[in-house]
Amino acid sequence: MISFNQVTKRYPGGHEALSSVSLTIEQGELLFLSGHSGAGKSTLLKLIAAIERPTSGVVSVSGQNISRLPRRAVPYLRRNIGLVFQDHKLLFDRSVIDNVVLPLDIAGLDRRESLKRARAVIDKVGLLNREKANPVSLSGGEQQRLCIARALVSRPALLLADEPTGNLDAGYAADIMAMFRDFHQVGTTLVIATHDERAITALGGRTLHLDHGKIEEISA
Amino acid sequence: MIGWLRHHKHALAAALRRLGAQALATCLTALAMGVAISLPSGLYLGLENLSRVAGELPAQPEISLFLDTGASAGQKQAIAARLRQPDIAQARFVPKDEALAALSASQDLTDITAGLMENPLPDAWVVRPRDASRASLVQLSGSLGKLSGVADTHLDSQWAERLQAALAIGRTVVWVLGGLFAIALIAISGNAIRAQVLARRDEILVSRLIGATDRHIRRPFLYLGALQGLFGGLAAGGVLAVAGTILREPVEHLATLYGSTFHLLPPDGAEIAAVLGLSALFGWLGAWLSVTRSLHRVETARWNH
Repeated sequence: MISFNQVTKRYPGGHEALSSVSLTIEQGELLFLSGHSGAGKSTLLKLIAAIERPTSGVVSVSGQNISRLPRRAVPYLRRNIGLVFQDHKLLFDRSVIDNVVLPLDIAGLDRRESLKRARAVIDKVGLLNREKANPVSLSGGEQQRLCIARALVSRPALLLADEPTGNLDAGYAADIMAMFRDFHQVGTTLVIATHDERAITALGGRTLHLDHGKIEEISA
Repeated sequence: MIGWLRHHKHALAAALRRLGAQALATCLTALAMGVAISLPSGLYLGLENLSRVAGELPAQPEISLFLDTGASAGQKQAIAARLRQPDIAQARFVPKDEALAALSASQDLTDITAGLMENPLPDAWVVRPRDASRASLVQLSGSLGKLSGVADTHLDSQWAERLQAALAIGRTVVWVLGGLFAIALIAISGNAIRAQVLARRDEILVSRLIGATDRHIRRPFLYLGALQGLFGGLAAGGVLAVAGTILREPVEHLATLYGSTFHLLPPDGAEIAAVLGLSALFGWLGAWLSVTRSLHRVETARWNH
């Protein structure tokens, strides 16, 4: 589903975040990216979602060459990808449900159908009693679950999560990882960047260890 | 198709909500636009009314030919013969007695004319040429003036023509002003929209990340610009209505002094629709320019976490 062939990403200023990375991620796979901060985990995820373009090499997602993807095609690629951010990127000018319904509005779905689907996914992440609340009033763990709900509402085939349990205590982290396992079991491809070793051992799956922009080891 | 309509409905609703949420800013912008729009459209209205006055004047140009008081019978016959030629559509002889009688009757000057020892008016011809173009009028008037026994010629249409020329300049000024204020409108709208784009930076960035197209992001702002322009047009209507109410009485008073029943006419439906349509168009245009530029800025200054 995703392949990297000799991918290098150098940021303006010369910092090389990824150096000649090659890897393949199969459809339905659960892959962890580990490594200390600055190892290139976030950059790898951004390259898959075409938030960044590679300096050299080829990134391909579902047969599309991301390096050559025209700007106007990027939105349609992203509609098939659920993104979970460490800093959530929620909108605080609207309610929980309006945050979740946003991707469906963008895709042009019928409003009633959108609300129905949004409620279902909010229920799944356990926030149904907070649907009218402003995200500002949610705890860190709840905000993270809201971000996951927004990523899942359009039923993407691929979910990318950048440190989804980064700022959470162990209990919340375990909850969220359990949710990811459920999505994996229904066939979603997941790529999760994390340095939470416990989560990795709890869920199993392949782990790609990055160090200074290079793949250090792959463990199954 | 249905999805497309839904997008537009959402965008329009969102734009109306935003305008409503910032009612004061919306009103101030509309007022600024209204003043800008009302200047050229007010001038246009004034000119239209003035043209109406000018239109009531005789349109057919005439040349008056005043004869020498001492012109001989032969000279008079030669002149009459000249006026029968095919370049003259119609020529009417006005003897001096008739002219004096007409003067005393029409201008209520009986007292003055009765006191005259002798008739000071010359015999005259009123000539209507076949070719009414300006150049041939001047030429004909000149050549008639050179006939012996003719004291003077007078082009009656002169002042009406001058008025028409002045009105033509006025209309050009309306277009030039209209162009300038259209630019002002685009600038006002663009500025208002730029503030909106910056205020909604987060929403734009998040929308972009979850698959919004450029058009989707631009759409509510374009509606915002067009609506803002439309409100500007309505405000201009208000400004002009107030100005019209203030001016009506003095104008009608002035008209009565000239013995006229002239009164100010408001713009017709097509003119109102044109002003509102153009205001919305320029509001939209300003929004488009601004949002395209600002989106680029917002994008280049994106995530650096």
